[in-house]
Amino acid sequence: MRSFSLLFKQFSRSVLVVAGFAFLGTSAFAQGDAAKGEAIFKAKCTTCHAVDRLVIGPALGPQLNIETDDKFLTKWIQNNQTLIAAKDPKALAIYNKFNQAGMTVFADLSDGDVANILTYVRTTYKAMQSAPKTAVGGPAAESGPSNMVIFALIGVIILAFVIILVLNKVVSTLERLLLKNKELLVAEPIAEAAPVDRMATVKKLAKNKKLVFFVLLCGTLALGSWTWVTLWTTNVHQGYQPVQPIKFPHDLHAGAMKIECQYCHSGAYKSKNASIPSLNVCMNCHKTIDRLKGAATPSLEIAKIYDALGYDPATQKYDTTKARPIQWIRVHNLPDFAYFNHSQHVKVAGLKCQTCHGQVQEMKEVYQYSPLTMKWCIQCHKRTNVNMKGNAYYEKMEAVHDLIKAGKPVTEAAMGGIECGKCHY
Amino acid sequence: MLAMNKIKILGTIAVAITATIAISSCKDKRSTGWAYAPNMYEHLAYDPDQINDNFKDGKTAQVPPAGTTPIGFVRFDYPNSKDGYEKAGLEVKSPLPQTQANYAEGKLLFTSFCSPCHGLNGQGDGLVIAHGFPAPPSYSSGVSSRGGNMKDLTDGKIYHTITYGVNAMGSYASQLDPTERWKVIMYVHHLQTL
Repeated sequence: MRSFSLLFKQFSRSVLVVAGFAFLGTSAFAQGDAAKGEAIFKAKCTTCHAVDRLVIGPALGPQLNIETDDKFLTKWIQNNQTLIAAKDPKALAIYNKFNQAGMTVFADLSDGDVANILTYVRTTYKAMQSAPKTAVGGPAAESGPSNMVIFALIGVIILAFVIILVLNKVVSTLERLLLKNKELLVAEPIAEAAPVDRMATVKKLAKNKKLVFFVLLCGTLALGSWTWVTLWTTNVHQGYQPVQPIKFPHDLHAGAMKIECQYCHSGAYKSKNASIPSLNVCMNCHKTIDRLKGAATPSLEIAKIYDALGYDPATQKYDTTKARPIQWIRVHNLPDFAYFNHSQHVKVAGLKCQTCHGQVQEMKEVYQYSPLTMKWCIQCHKRTNVNMKGNAYYEKMEAVHDLIKAGKPVTEAAMGGIECGKCHY
Repeated sequence: MLAMNKIKILGTIAVAITATIAISSCKDKRSTGWAYAPNMYEHLAYDPDQINDNFKDGKTAQVPPAGTTPIGFVRFDYPNSKDGYEKAGLEVKSPLPQTQANYAEGKLLFTSFCSPCHGLNGQGDGLVIAHGFPAPPSYSSGVSSRGGNMKDLTDGKIYHTITYGVNAMGSYASQLDPTERWKVIMYVHHLQTL
């Protein structure tokens, strides 16, 4: 009897355990695990989707609120292309709405995975909607001006401290001087008659030839050095750092993300002008990125790009009638009488951009690093050796020199005299 | 009296030095400073990035009329659609000779223009991705959103994508001329085998 009851106990326990697991399993499938869904969502979906806004594909939160047929969604996510091929009306509608872009096939996602993703998106969207609207307004007000105010306040406090320290120093030295010169201490009580005395001392000092000479010398030195410095810096814009219409941070793009200079300034390798990128280059990335990483609200600076293009990030449509060029302010400006070619320096000579422009990848705001004076150009041209290897121009030049050495006549054509550009430039 | 004079002399020197420093170092970084003969700097000829009242939109850099083919450009008359993509994939082949020089150039161009997102090895792990940009699929192991594996993409399909862009990727037509695009494709084909 005992053994039978034991057996029964064990049997019933195992049945219960199995049933329990089965129940857990089905409930997991029916509801989905949001945490697991989040992991899959971030690994597979965020390339094209966000919960609350249109990226490349539709905003999934609202979309999944409208579309509640999970069987269709599962099929669509696992293989949208078979649905489209089978001419499923719902599938075709989405396909055509998004310019027949199609979605990546995720055959490796199981039904359970898809349910997890759907649960994650729905719960996240619900949480977003139930969050009070003031929370959206809060960070927007915080992000922009308040930071500035805080920095300004900190600056003022530091400045005040410095002033207090300096004044303290001055006071202490004055006190020391007063203690040293007892004459002054004695003179203190009759300070009321000061105006008359002061004039007297000035007159007295004016009679001191040594002092007058010394003051004049100091004045001449000061004025002279000022004239000298001014003459040297006239027309030299070194250190010029204008305020640009968009606060483009080179330190983030070229520094932290290490995007190479010619990604945007693609003219540097090909032409005279390094070129300021047109806005379509910005939109290569900022079509998708409208805010700083992790920021709650879109960046105001990036919004200026959209504004200039007449682009509406909500609908991802351009309105060319609203477009207007951004008026960047030129930092490096050579006068018209000096010819400078970027491609010659960057492509042929293989110079790094930083040689002339400084560590732009560390600049929050670009300034003119080099003086760009004639002396500066010539100094470098005197010191730099020419790399003639693999350069057709110099090879031709060498060939001409060989002709001269061999005593043969050098024709105009050998000097490139029949190149089109010699006459038709 | 002598002591007093000394103090005054020292004081004058201090004032003179500070005045000199103040006058000579006081430079406004927002201004280009004093100019001599400014008309030589603000020249008459228009710079490409300058305002120009002669044109309706006020720009000097005008877009060429529609349908213009620049010298050295080969036309690519496939529309920016799924059909155009598939058609280009079947018909368009690289006109470039498969030389080491072209390959090396392609690698350089890929590093500048593509690696920020696609990563140096085309695995879709560039530094821009680490900063929150949606990751592109790997060339060797990824799946294309337009069907098929990334490693099976043909010349024409890649050329179509570089020219028009797809999904989060923008058009690179303004940054890479046709020859440069073909050089990049040479290197992408290498990355597909990784």
